[in-house]
Amino acid sequence: MNRLPAPFGSRIDRSRPVRFTFEGKSFEGFEGDCIASALAASGQWVLSRSFKYHRRRGVMSMTGADANALVQLPADPNAPAELTRLREGMRVTAQNVNGSLEHDRDAIIDRFGRFLPVGFYYRTFMGPGSNGWYRLWEPMIRRKAGLGIVDTAAEHRDFDKAHLHCDVLVVGAGPAGLAAAIDAAEGGADVVLCDENPEIGGSLTWGRHDPNILAGLAGRLAALSNVKVLTDTVCNGWYEDNWLPLIQGNRLYRTRAREVVIATGTIRQPAIFRNNDLPGIMLGSAAQRLIRHYGVRPGATAVVQAASDEGYAVALDLLDAGVRLALVADPRPTAEAGPFERELHERGVQVERGAGVAEAEGTGGNRHLARVRVGRSWIDCDLLAVSAGEVPAWQLPCQAGGKVGYDTASAAMTLTMPDAPVRLAGGVAGLDAPQYAQPIVANKKGRDFVDFDEDLQVKDLQNAVKEGYREIELVKRFTTVGMGPSQGRHSALATARIVAEATSRTVAAVGVTTARPPVGPEILGVLAGHHEPPERRTALHARHLALGAVMKPVGAWWRPYSYGAGDTAVREEILAVREGVGLLDVSTLGKLEVRGPDAGQFLDRLYTMAHASQPVGRVRYCLMLNEMGSVVDDGVAYRLADDRFYVTATTGAVARVYADMLFWNAQWRLKVDVLNLTGAFSGLNVTGPNARTVLQHLASDIDFGRDAFPYLHGREGVVAGIPVRVMRIGFTGELSFELHCPSSFAPALWDAVLVAGGRHGLRPYGLEASRILRLEKGHILIGQDTDAITTPDELGFGWAVSKKKPFFVGKRSIEMRARLGQTRKLVGLRFPADASEIPGESCLVLKDGAPAGQITSVGFSPTLGCSIALAYVHIDDAAEGSMVTVKCRSGQRLRVPVAGHAFVDPSNARQEL
Amino acid sequence: MAPGIRTFPFDHGGAANGTVLPTGSVALADLTAQPRFGLKGPGSSAWLEAHGVALPPVNRVAVHQGMRVLRLGGEDMLLTAENAAPALADLQGAWTAETSAKGYSSWREEGWAWMRLSGPALQPALARLCALDLRPTRFATDEIAQTRFAGVEAVLLRTGHAFDVFFDVTASAFVARAVAAVEKHCANS
Repeated sequence: MNRLPAPFGSRIDRSRPVRFTFEGKSFEGFEGDCIASALAASGQWVLSRSFKYHRRRGVMSMTGADANALVQLPADPNAPAELTRLREGMRVTAQNVNGSLEHDRDAIIDRFGRFLPVGFYYRTFMGPGSNGWYRLWEPMIRRKAGLGIVDTAAEHRDFDKAHLHCDVLVVGAGPAGLAAAIDAAEGGADVVLCDENPEIGGSLTWGRHDPNILAGLAGRLAALSNVKVLTDTVCNGWYEDNWLPLIQGNRLYRTRAREVVIATGTIRQPAIFRNNDLPGIMLGSAAQRLIRHYGVRPGATAVVQAASDEGYAVALDLLDAGVRLALVADPRPTAEAGPFERELHERGVQVERGAGVAEAEGTGGNRHLARVRVGRSWIDCDLLAVSAGEVPAWQLPCQAGGKVGYDTASAAMTLTMPDAPVRLAGGVAGLDAPQYAQPIVANKKGRDFVDFDEDLQVKDLQNAVKEGYREIELVKRFTTVGMGPSQGRHSALATARIVAEATSRTVAAVGVTTARPPVGPEILGVLAGHHEPPERRTALHARHLALGAVMKPVGAWWRPYSYGAGDTAVREEILAVREGVGLLDVSTLGKLEVRGPDAGQFLDRLYTMAHASQPVGRVRYCLMLNEMGSVVDDGVAYRLADDRFYVTATTGAVARVYADMLFWNAQWRLKVDVLNLTGAFSGLNVTGPNARTVLQHLASDIDFGRDAFPYLHGREGVVAGIPVRVMRIGFTGELSFELHCPSSFAPALWDAVLVAGGRHGLRPYGLEASRILRLEKGHILIGQDTDAITTPDELGFGWAVSKKKPFFVGKRSIEMRARLGQTRKLVGLRFPADASEIPGESCLVLKDGAPAGQITSVGFSPTLGCSIALAYVHIDDAAEGSMVTVKCRSGQRLRVPVAGHAFVDPSNARQEL
Repeated sequence: MAPGIRTFPFDHGGAANGTVLPTGSVALADLTAQPRFGLKGPGSSAWLEAHGVALPPVNRVAVHQGMRVLRLGGEDMLLTAENAAPALADLQGAWTAETSAKGYSSWREEGWAWMRLSGPALQPALARLCALDLRPTRFATDEIAQTRFAGVEAVLLRTGHAFDVFFDVTASAFVARAVAAVEKHCANS
């Protein structure tokens, strides 16, 4: 075991062991361990295989910022072993292996790397043949690509979303973030402080710092009641107006902050030399995290590459942890000895100046680091701790408009922020010390990795430039550098230096690639949140269920599809309407009240027909166009009074119609008020030859007689003690009365109509019967039989367009479009009863072999005993009796005659009974 | 007409019948059947003021004869009468009898469900149900927000330690389930 005694291991509870398996082998860690630390404590340093060459990889950063430590959990691929907290019974496996982690058959690729140069796939996957990609390469790449496996049978997890508001959001609870949060809170601000770690303190918790600093800050913070501290929380992006997603486990905080302070610190950088990816080679900060957070000794014998003063602190920490220091190599030729270096000298550690690690070698199969070469000397060690410099964590600042620069004198990446309520604090705002820019020279034998995620070596990037890709964004796309899980955290600066060198430009001129949200990987379930599907129910919902309705969603609404399952039920419902009387819940219809002295004028401007002159008590068809002259909705307008219209709109379009009405009302400034009554009023359609008789059996002050209540008239009154608005309109082609009432009365009205209709065979019918009934009558459904460019003329609705009105929305456009000539028209098609195949909706209608239109609605008509359809056909084929060709799904072509506008009762005698 | 023949969503035979209202750390009480009366459109405010109702600013609440007067717009008012039904009936009767300009009914008693959200986890629940900052320090008693609640357009009113929520009555079952789901999260967190 590599466990160190307390006080090392601030995060673990040694009294609570946790058992788990990795690659089927049993391990034990402690509560508070992450997977990687528990494995490391047991001597298991290899965590994964690399993406391309399948090389063994292990702990590198202990921040979860790279692909080295991604593992598979039963329900989660790509779990970062360096961050994922250990749980009892956890089953962890390696991913991206062909076989097992220990015996990965794809490891042979490592020997054939020279045949797989950067960008090889752009050339390789072109053949053989024109579809070689689909036949050969794509299936192969699918098998090899991706890390981990999604368990599609995984249990549903409960995800949570909440909104969070604050004056100041501080991202990062390291020393700078803590100070910023305390300052803001002491100034009276309402502060949220978040950090991805399980505790506050940042580098103060793992670096070689005076513990009193953290204790002091934590004490001040605890005294403030106006700071909300969110640990284990990742700020995963910055969006306009300081909107930031904070992810804490399975919860997403959608955060709105007046000001944001980004104190995300810096990202320690790896060094580049041959075999710099061996398990046992890690960032110095990773070694410190293992020691202080988890009480894990990262090795027995170490070499420290110290290109910064922090490297000396790492060396001292290793000494304190009982690690033998073979050498501290400082590649900087000259540097003034800092306090840590002086202490190291005092403790008798050998420091070699002007020397860096040039190469490493592993044990058999590169299972672990065996020795490193410094200069010409090979030094045996099982740990190489690298402190090669750092860069600001630029991702979040850049999303907020920050610009990355580079100061050649200090060899440091810099960030400048726009004038916005986003500020930087701490290391991300600027590095204290000059950085050491390691000369990057490609090793002749390669395996000097720049991007560990993508197995990219120095020569790969140099070759990309030789291929002509000089710009960093193009280099990224050609080589995939920065596309892996680390998103360039460990490769961006090195890549910029390599490209700068290869193109004889400055690092500042080359820059880094664009940083976009998310900052890190996120679980899709977190974005989806708790999924409660939106749902609307009519007031008659329970009545439908009690009658055995098959309910189906129509948008957000639940509607009865039919009462009883199967085609027979639908057929019986249709016949009931044609021969007796049916009852349909039309409550989902849009219902709007337009009222005010200018209500008629308002409708005149909005719809194509004349409404200002519409008499009170009359119902008139409404056709709405957009400014392009396309049909967007239809309905009816019932004039209740001089200053009041009751207007219906289609179920799916009423929200848009209402919004359009409000928009135009604001533009025109007429004396009009618009009210959406869709939920407030329910609607029942009583339809069929016996409809009048049924209603006449109900107590009412309305005379439902033929002459007293003609077609396209409306009445207000009381039916069965319930206040109603009744319109003599219909969608079925039969005698119809549409009864609308305040929704709380609808169940009682429904019951009363059912009782009254009982002796006349009244039968409730559902949506499918309604669809067929209207198709038999040739009525259109907006959105189904119309598209984005349908004009009234194409529907044969010239009768519904006023020629006298000087203006209505879309008038000018339909006149202009009419001058261009009409190319298609919606017609009825009637298929032979013995047709071997009936085309489906969207099947093409051809003219001389070329598409001229399409089927928009199709169905079997029990009334006619054959299938019928509405379809757009070429204008030359639109006359009744013309023959058109329809292409079925199978490719079969049918010759079908064009029918008139209505299949049933074209003279309208039935509806005007 | 007989009030007994009215059915509201959570009544027996109502559209949300069978949907359980949460009663734990977050409670949702259904007030949909309680009396209320809305006026909207030109003439509404003048008529109310002529009948002695002192109107508050938009998105604020006033009290008149025990009724709450919610001003949702310049010419959009909602009067609720949880404990002042007679006063509301009198006012409504006067409005019905009026023959000159008086605004128009907004049918809020039919179109909107009225629910009251309360409980010890009220604030965490609101943070999950609405994007606005509804903390007491930022959204005081008798303030009105016209916003979205549980993904549905809604009018929210803080009434001390509870919120009254008015929303599309057809979404009653959905909102109740959404609040119940949030209640579970609040109870577990």
